[in-house]
Amino acid sequence: MLKLSYRYDQTAARLKVEGLPDISADHGDGVIGILSTWTLQFVGSPELEGKREHLEAMLATVLPYARFRLSGVSRRCGDDASPVSLAPAEDGRHQLELRSSQPGVEPLSISLDDAELCDLVRCLDAMRLDQRVQIAWPLSTDRPLARRELAERVPLVNRLAPSVLGGGAFLLVAGLVSLLPLPEVKTPKSTSASTEQPAEQPAERPAQSAPTEPATPQAE
Amino acid sequence: MTDALATPALDTTSNQKFSDLKTALDRRGLERLDLLLLTVEALDLNGGEAMVWATQQLGFTDLFPNRVELWKRRCTNPLRRSTRRTALTSAETEALIRILCAMADRLYPMLHQLLSSREPAALTEQRWALVGQRLRDLVAERMNLRRGSVQKLLQDEQGASIQRQLVFTLALAAGPGGVDRLRASLEDPTP
Repeated sequence: MLKLSYRYDQTAARLKVEGLPDISADHGDGVIGILSTWTLQFVGSPELEGKREHLEAMLATVLPYARFRLSGVSRRCGDDASPVSLAPAEDGRHQLELRSSQPGVEPLSISLDDAELCDLVRCLDAMRLDQRVQIAWPLSTDRPLARRELAERVPLVNRLAPSVLGGGAFLLVAGLVSLLPLPEVKTPKSTSASTEQPAEQPAERPAQSAPTEPATPQAE
Repeated sequence: MTDALATPALDTTSNQKFSDLKTALDRRGLERLDLLLLTVEALDLNGGEAMVWATQQLGFTDLFPNRVELWKRRCTNPLRRSTRRTALTSAETEALIRILCAMADRLYPMLHQLLSSREPAALTEQRWALVGQRLRDLVAERMNLRRGSVQKLLQDEQGASIQRQLVFTLALAAGPGGVDRLRASLEDPTP
């Protein structure tokens, strides 16, 4: 059985995949069902090659990165433990890092500009959507980003301004309200004294009325 | 491989069937879509004619039978000087996205030249100046200049950054897979 090889070219990038048909999946003669090796060549950079798992990692890193950049979000995809990682660089370029599965091999770092990134994305898209390459790539479909993922696109000042202004307005109003004089509150003591006085007066009246009785005149 | 001399084959490969899609864009998505179409016109002097041609090639003449209908649909952008309140149907939205991606694919060599750091810096600067001037002229002619976001486009520094993002967006929307990617991006919620 002849090994199949397909090439995807895009200006500054060339992706080549080699493999064999998967007979158990009833693939035709011209269909790659089992990927044996792949190579990726950028203009002015060393050629990259690897196995299926490395290409899977490339797809799982580069395509989500492109998706984020399309929405204006600059975010690193792939961590230090991943075979492939892609992160935005300070000069506006994109840092592609590839880590070999063999021990003692230093990671390879390639700096891509926007055009080279687009070329790489197009090559990967062309390969994964090619009917002649029937491999089940573990990829998620493109979906709208969540608001929290888009938050970093908004400048920090704009994000914090509503909270700061709202909190400041609340404190200002609370301070102004605290300066207002409190209304007078009548104490309970004054109300109990006014109720006791009418009870004492009737007791005093009989004592006061006794001296006022006229003395009875005695006969001479 | 993209060949500038060959007749461009319109490629709007998508993982999803046209009839199954329920594409609905919010206000911001409509603004971005029209702005990207405007950028295509700024990049290609015959962009308007090319869009009509792309509509025919892609089989969307039932949705946009002529250039007037295409223009009417683009005027649903709230930032336009004269806006139409009729909402786009999901089929019309999807058709506009596919037309845009087909145009981006056709213009990919030019997009690549603008974004590449390997081109001579002076030449790249001239190209950006030309594209920027055309885009500003189109924006001033068709958009409502009292809107803040339109004024940002016309400013020098902020406008240049937005123009680069627009060109980068077109480059990522070109080719196979670009339709699904762009559609998902246009459906992003407003942050």
